[in-house]
Amino acid sequence: MKRIEIAERDDWRAQAEALGFNFHTMHGDPYWDETACYRFTLRQIEDDIEDPSAVIESMCFDVVSRAVEDSEVMAKLAIPESFWDYIRGSWLSADKNLYGRLDFSYDGNGPAKLLEYNADTPTSLYESSAFQWLWLEHALEREIIPPGCDQFNSIHEQMVQAFRNFEIEGRLHLASCEGSAEDEGTVRYIEECAVQAGLETTFLHMENIGIDTNGHFTDGEDMGIRNLFKLYPWEWMMADDFGKSVPQSGVTFIEPAWRAILSNKGLLPLLWEMFEGHPNLLPAYFADDPRATDLEGGYVRKPLLSREGANVEMFRPGVGPGDASLSVEGPYGAEGFVVQALHPLPVFDGNHTVIGSWLVASQPCGIGIREDNSPITKDSSRFLPHVIFD
Amino acid sequence: MKRSKSLKLFLMGATALTLVACDEPQEVAIFETTEQCASQVGFDKDACESNFKTAQVEHIRVAPKYASAADCEVDFGAAQCEVAPQTTSNGGSVFMPMMMGYMMGSMISNSARGGSAGGSSMKSQPLYRSADDRKSFRTGDNHKVSGKTGVTKVASNVARAPSTKTSTIRRGGFGAAAAKTAGRSRSYGG
Repeated sequence: MKRIEIAERDDWRAQAEALGFNFHTMHGDPYWDETACYRFTLRQIEDDIEDPSAVIESMCFDVVSRAVEDSEVMAKLAIPESFWDYIRGSWLSADKNLYGRLDFSYDGNGPAKLLEYNADTPTSLYESSAFQWLWLEHALEREIIPPGCDQFNSIHEQMVQAFRNFEIEGRLHLASCEGSAEDEGTVRYIEECAVQAGLETTFLHMENIGIDTNGHFTDGEDMGIRNLFKLYPWEWMMADDFGKSVPQSGVTFIEPAWRAILSNKGLLPLLWEMFEGHPNLLPAYFADDPRATDLEGGYVRKPLLSREGANVEMFRPGVGPGDASLSVEGPYGAEGFVVQALHPLPVFDGNHTVIGSWLVASQPCGIGIREDNSPITKDSSRFLPHVIFD
Repeated sequence: MKRSKSLKLFLMGATALTLVACDEPQEVAIFETTEQCASQVGFDKDACESNFKTAQVEHIRVAPKYASAADCEVDFGAAQCEVAPQTTSNGGSVFMPMMMGYMMGSMISNSARGGSAGGSSMKSQPLYRSADDRKSFRTGDNHKVSGKTGVTKVASNVARAPSTKTSTIRRGGFGAAAAKTAGRSRSYGG
């Protein structure tokens, strides 16, 4: 695994805008960054990322199977009790999951360590699946990279195939919140995948969803919603006013409700408890566990529910928690915390690099790489493309 | 190769147009009664009846629903509505238009089997006539199909089971939790 500085395509911004990738630059800072790429060997991709991702997914299923039958676990995850039966039902009836992203700390050597699982509302999908793919084709064509370069990225094919396998009856509605170009871009791309699979789709904003007298959800045209892809976290669905109508709504949700167990950082101590010592896992505990203080060599404290690094704090031996570069402010944390042994992200040319491993319908099928200037990956991170070249 | 073999990208957001443009029309049959269906050449009486029954069941599910008879009659005309078996959450009546016909898979292009929708994967569905266009049959989700009974072609999206028109009583019940965390993050996902 190497970071290689390369020439950027002079027309990539025009390409991006023509394709609707209108969040390539955020608040004046680059988000898509092709002034460098990461190079992996095929062995690194297959043995260190792809296979472990599949293994972790199956371990995660064991965690869900246990959690839905164990009210103590559901309480630890701070999932409202009124949703336990609904979540259990969604798991037992095998409601299909679409996609997720496992974030790894990996530097090319030794086992990749799982930092967290974005199993409910992952973003950076479009960049990984489509724009990174286009970059590779163009970079080969223009000899920016040597012939024979490949990429771990069949995400698009897998997304279209997954929608074909969903057996969705009727129209698929897709929703994100108002006011986020990144979220809307991600959902528009997912809509595109669904359309390519032959589905009829309607995009709308979460805020615009209505309810009828029978407790069924409606779109802006008063049409009933039967299938809803939502880039909106389950814990917010459950907290919102309409949340109590979800279990009786008859809607097939993507992601299904059982994903709430995996997108919760409480997954990390549950995995460690059930699979302690697994090479791809880091020791992790709920913050109130006495063993939480045993983590020598530093630890990271994460809220059960948090996104984009918000409210994550890093504690290193000899460094006080007052160091602002080691904590990220945010609105999360009221529901509790987990601690995870510190496994700092590798640093390449001064950049802290995290690998996002994509699973579509639980199959590992690609990666996306983000760099940040600080050791905690935040929403100011940059996305860089990668190649496989032995 | 570890990457997608090809990747089609349309302009994001313009996707609906693409689908309609390459939609293959599907052959269907439209009837007002089972007798009309059974007298059509190539149509079998048992299949006509089973498809009619399916449409009747679907009618209860997919017919547009209204909280008042007057609202229903605005859309479907005087004396064209009936009380639906559903009730509102506080026990009030729900109204829906009467079923004016049904659409099933064509038995001419597909081998007919009783019970299934004319051998095709198509599920039979009820049809309605709206007050402003009495001549045409429309599906439960207001796709115009045809003015005539018998075998015809419709876009395949029209042939699919409709989603249902209903009356929204309230909006805005989702999004409050996001608003609480807004202001710093560029994304609510991650």
